[in-house]
Amino acid sequence: MSEASTLELREQFATPAQQRETASVGMWVFLASEIMMFGGLFLAYTVYRLSHPHAFNIGSSEMTLVIGSVNTAVIICSSFTMALAVYSQGTGHQKRTAVLLLLTMFIGVIFLSLKFTEYFIHYDEHKVPGIWWEHAGPDAGQIQMFYVFYFIMTGLHVIHMSIGLGLLFWTLIRTLLGHFNTEYYTPLEIVGVYWSFVDCIWIFLYAVLYIPGMHLR
Amino acid sequence: MAILTHKKTSVTKSPKLPLKTYVFTWLGLLGLTLLTALLGFIDLGQFNIVISVAIATIQVLLVGGFFMHALYEKTLVRIIIAAAIIWFLIFESLTLGDYMSRGQVPLHFYPGLRAAVDVIPG
Repeated sequence: MSEASTLELREQFATPAQQRETASVGMWVFLASEIMMFGGLFLAYTVYRLSHPHAFNIGSSEMTLVIGSVNTAVIICSSFTMALAVYSQGTGHQKRTAVLLLLTMFIGVIFLSLKFTEYFIHYDEHKVPGIWWEHAGPDAGQIQMFYVFYFIMTGLHVIHMSIGLGLLFWTLIRTLLGHFNTEYYTPLEIVGVYWSFVDCIWIFLYAVLYIPGMHLR
Repeated sequence: MAILTHKKTSVTKSPKLPLKTYVFTWLGLLGLTLLTALLGFIDLGQFNIVISVAIATIQVLLVGGFFMHALYEKTLVRIIIAAAIIWFLIFESLTLGDYMSRGQVPLHFYPGLRAAVDVIPG
């Protein structure tokens, strides 16, 4: 009896293909619920933006553009290395998979570091609603509203990134323990789907939080 | 062509795409990010955010289709994705339809509604 088959199939499934599909469907249903959650926030942002377009553009123009843009590239790279990790496992290069998973985690940590640097800059400029908020001039209240959305949406994204790092660590351990082979690596694949989803959320966050006020700078 | 052959294999196994698909997707994503950033510097009024969200949508389709293998998944997964997107569009359009039309509906056409609004304090 090969080791692969004992790792592959749990008793409630008829075939490996059914097992894989079940896992895949489970992750996508979860991601659908995530779309609802982030969708609600994007919707609320849109409603407020339509009510106060100028104030939201000013808020957007105060973002740290360089860090935000670099972070977008960084998270796209981490999504790429994750996809490569899944690819390497599928083609039977386990060591390469482990290295790519480590690299993905490293890039993820770079993203979080840059994000927290940004948060610190906002704190330093006294632009944290509820903790330290100072803003002179008209529309201060509406600009504060922009920052409220900024912190809630990016904060929720940071939480998702942190969970993703934990999941990546778990898959790294399992890869190193030799739990996966070229036919069975569903957990790795599913974590990859989650990680890329978090990337998708950031791409939209960059588009709505950083870009609209860029031309005012 | 490559996509068609991969769809067939994905029926039983995890989808396996050629390496160059991932590389091109990655390069495309970085290119579109650069494009978003450059277009942001031009003042297009309210179209700045429209364009940035449109480019972001293309990027997300690339990530979802190739990195997340959504293009190579079975019908059930596609239905789940479609359901999520359609439901999102429903609540988005209904809520925005409400907010954007506030004050534009003449209330005297609807005596019952007028009466209801009058009893709201403030």
